[in-house]
Amino acid sequence: MGKELGDRIRIAECDLGQQSILHVIKIKAKQKLPELSPNNNIIDETEEQGNSPLCTTLNDAMFSSDDSSARASTGSTSEIDAIIPMLLLWLSREYYEFQEKKKPRVHFYVYCPTCKSLKPGKIRVRCHFCKSGAFTVHAAPQNWHDVLEPKQITGLCENTPELCANILNNSEPTFAEFYFKCSEHTSLGEKDEAVPLYLIRPNLRDIPCLACADVSDPIFVFPCAEGHVTCLDCFRQYCVTKLSERQFWQHPEYGYTLACPAGCSDSFIKEVHHFRLLTEAQYAQYQRFGTEEFVLRSGGVLCPQPGCGMGILADVDCTKITCISGCGYVFCRLCLQGFHIGECQSTESGNISNREGCLYNVDPTRAADARWDEASRVAIKVLTKPCPKCRTPTERDGFHIGECQSTESGNISNREGCLYNADPTRAADARWDEASRVAIKVLTKPCPKCRTPTERDGGCMHMVCTEQAVSFIGVGCVKHHGLESVWEAIGLDEFLKMYFFIKYQLLYLFILLINLFVNLVVELQKM
Amino acid sequence: MAALPRRIIKETQRLMQEPVPGISAVPDDSNARYFHVIVTGPEDSPFEGGLFKLELFLPEDYPMSAPKVRFITKIYHPNIDRLGRICLDILKDKWSPALQIRTVLLSIQALLSAPNPDDPLANDVAELWKVNESEAIRNAKEWTRRYAMDN
Repeated sequence: MGKELGDRIRIAECDLGQQSILHVIKIKAKQKLPELSPNNNIIDETEEQGNSPLCTTLNDAMFSSDDSSARASTGSTSEIDAIIPMLLLWLSREYYEFQEKKKPRVHFYVYCPTCKSLKPGKIRVRCHFCKSGAFTVHAAPQNWHDVLEPKQITGLCENTPELCANILNNSEPTFAEFYFKCSEHTSLGEKDEAVPLYLIRPNLRDIPCLACADVSDPIFVFPCAEGHVTCLDCFRQYCVTKLSERQFWQHPEYGYTLACPAGCSDSFIKEVHHFRLLTEAQYAQYQRFGTEEFVLRSGGVLCPQPGCGMGILADVDCTKITCISGCGYVFCRLCLQGFHIGECQSTESGNISNREGCLYNVDPTRAADARWDEASRVAIKVLTKPCPKCRTPTERDGFHIGECQSTESGNISNREGCLYNADPTRAADARWDEASRVAIKVLTKPCPKCRTPTERDGGCMHMVCTEQAVSFIGVGCVKHHGLESVWEAIGLDEFLKMYFFIKYQLLYLFILLINLFVNLVVELQKM
Repeated sequence: MAALPRRIIKETQRLMQEPVPGISAVPDDSNARYFHVIVTGPEDSPFEGGLFKLELFLPEDYPMSAPKVRFITKIYHPNIDRLGRICLDILKDKWSPALQIRTVLLSIQALLSAPNPDDPLANDVAELWKVNESEAIRNAKEWTRRYAMDN
């Protein structure tokens, strides 16, 4: 990359990195009075900005003008006398190992795919057209826009200027293309580039983190008008928190991303490689959520089978979806239950018309009643097994395995004895799973979008589904005070199991009592 | 227990040095993440003249997650249930690490001035607030007098 440096630039401050070539050119003495030679080829020291290394001009311009001018105006015009040895700096992918030096200040941070982490980076320039590294820029980039957007800065391709000029038919000037490399490891060749994480910057002005209030370096500067700042630890924590609540946004242009934590408008992180600051596992989760979000936004569905979640893009009118490349589950697109012929079964699942903002109104008392009936019905279903002949719900109690107790069924089915043989432990297991499944169905309300069972355990009627970031109004409040903490402590699955276990033990006892009572009444009537 | 983050120390200091008018928040002697809060009922609201006790706890990942706040004094409000839990967006999904203890408490005070029965937490209160606002306000005043004006 071509850039001329003034002779007051200290090389140690140039942040050259490895494999940078510095050409020292001695220029013949000329009586240099700047005002006499405004058009002189030699760079006028009054334009100090042009002589400072590229990284400095760029970085300082990003921050405060006072800071950059303080740095840039170290020399005065009157000092330019006698011989001016010019340093013409060629930073290119070449061979010269630049000596290790203390870096007082890192100018660029990159995500290096080779080191797989955040590293200090170095800026490089090449010809936009022929990709040749021998390129001299006409002006230093003044801000990140100049660097990141193509065709912002013109220059001269020193490689074969005619060739580039010919390619372009002189219709446009030759443009510079900026790219970055990791400063930590020796370059592995031309392809060894790194992604600039341009929101991570040195903390030149000791700005405290908005979250932890500590002053650290480097910092993460959010792309909002205010330029809110967090330290990298808090940025990571912010991402992890938002990720766990699935509160990233699917931006149409940038992808799955986050905005400034202070809630500034138009502050989405454009370069999603910044999320590489997360650990591998967290980044994998980020990618998975992002992909799922993309599939859903594209009109696709996710396989509802637990542990599968395969994204499937199918025709809009196709309701029978087979998870071909995943688990093979065949399901109905509308209710996300196993595929069925005819209308969807579930009361709420029939129409997934969420255009009205996921709102549906139900009288809470009626809903509660309905649920109670449903609960009894379901409990009977869970705790009994129908007689294979007469379908009467039959409860097995510990001592009479398999014997049909139902009076109605006795006369019909006694030939076979209504016997069914089941390994008691296996049967218990089966019932347990069924019980959990059914209990979840009774006590939860499916998210109107993704059908994930959701339980409201207090709080307002607003519910936000973390699967889909859909908010909806919960009905028939299940108020289980103090359960939140248990939930958090032992994790959702364990919590549900424990919770339903206790719940069903009680329900079971209750039904037994009712049974006894009814029997007693019947007996009394007979007498 | 891990050392107290600087953010919490700073916020606490500022709360002590420049208290918010009408709000006092004092950290517990044994737990610097637990605050004893007293909010005065805003003027021209049914809660005027009342002193409402709240508890505020800064969870481990504060400020990434919101403080947990609860009314201890009984209050008749459509967005506060009988356990004192508060339905306020910034305590839930609208939380931002840029918010602070003082902003949270100010928002709670503002919620007292502007109840929102369309977004209820205490259903019966919200219902009455919508159907018969004057009676609801009377109840709120009565509760304020009964529970928030002693000592």
